[in-house]
Amino acid sequence: MVIKACTRCHRLMEEERCAICNIPSSKNWSGFLIIVDPENSDIAKELNISLPGEYALRVR
Amino acid sequence: MIYAIRTLVGQEKNVARIIARNVKNSGIEVNSILVPESLRGYILVESSTKIDMQNPAFKVPHMKGVIDGEIPFEEVKTFLNPEPILASIQKGSIVELISGPFKGEKAKVVRIDESKENVVLELIEAAVPIPVTVKGDQIRLIQKEAD
Repeated sequence: MVIKACTRCHRLMEEERCAICNIPSSKNWSGFLIIVDPENSDIAKELNISLPGEYALRVR
Repeated sequence: MIYAIRTLVGQEKNVARIIARNVKNSGIEVNSILVPESLRGYILVESSTKIDMQNPAFKVPHMKGVIDGEIPFEEVKTFLNPEPILASIQKGSIVELISGPFKGEKAKVVRIDESKENVVLELIEAAVPIPVTVKGDQIRLIQKEAD
């Protein structure tokens, strides 16, 4: 099981393509962030994240 | 409010995932959990209320406790936008290899491939200069530019 990250929205997934952006995902990512409640989270606002889930901080 | 939680080194992501799963049903207001790559053995938990460590949701394996006091959001921002590893390294820099078969050797940077984050090095102490390609996170900068 290889976890990949979307190069645009940085969401982590196992699929080859991001379900939201529909672009290929990358195996080369670092940093890890879980957003539980995007509406009340300052970190989510800073990174413009509106959906809960797991994210990478940097994707190449 | 952002708090730091101490974990076992290497278990940061597992602890973060377990906490995220536990708080969903427990009524604790955790908004996000950040695992900075540069901060080994710690995770940062963002919460609207003060974290009650006695809550069963925080009974997590590999977790070693919470650090007293809040972390200002300005400090957390530096973890959110990690600077590329190769930003400070340029052609001609002297670096030390910190992992791999040449660990501990000093080398001079010959070429930088920024898109792949690779660097081509030439070992200083080798009799014959052989180019070695390594990942950007396997080196540590010693001297910005060679004399």
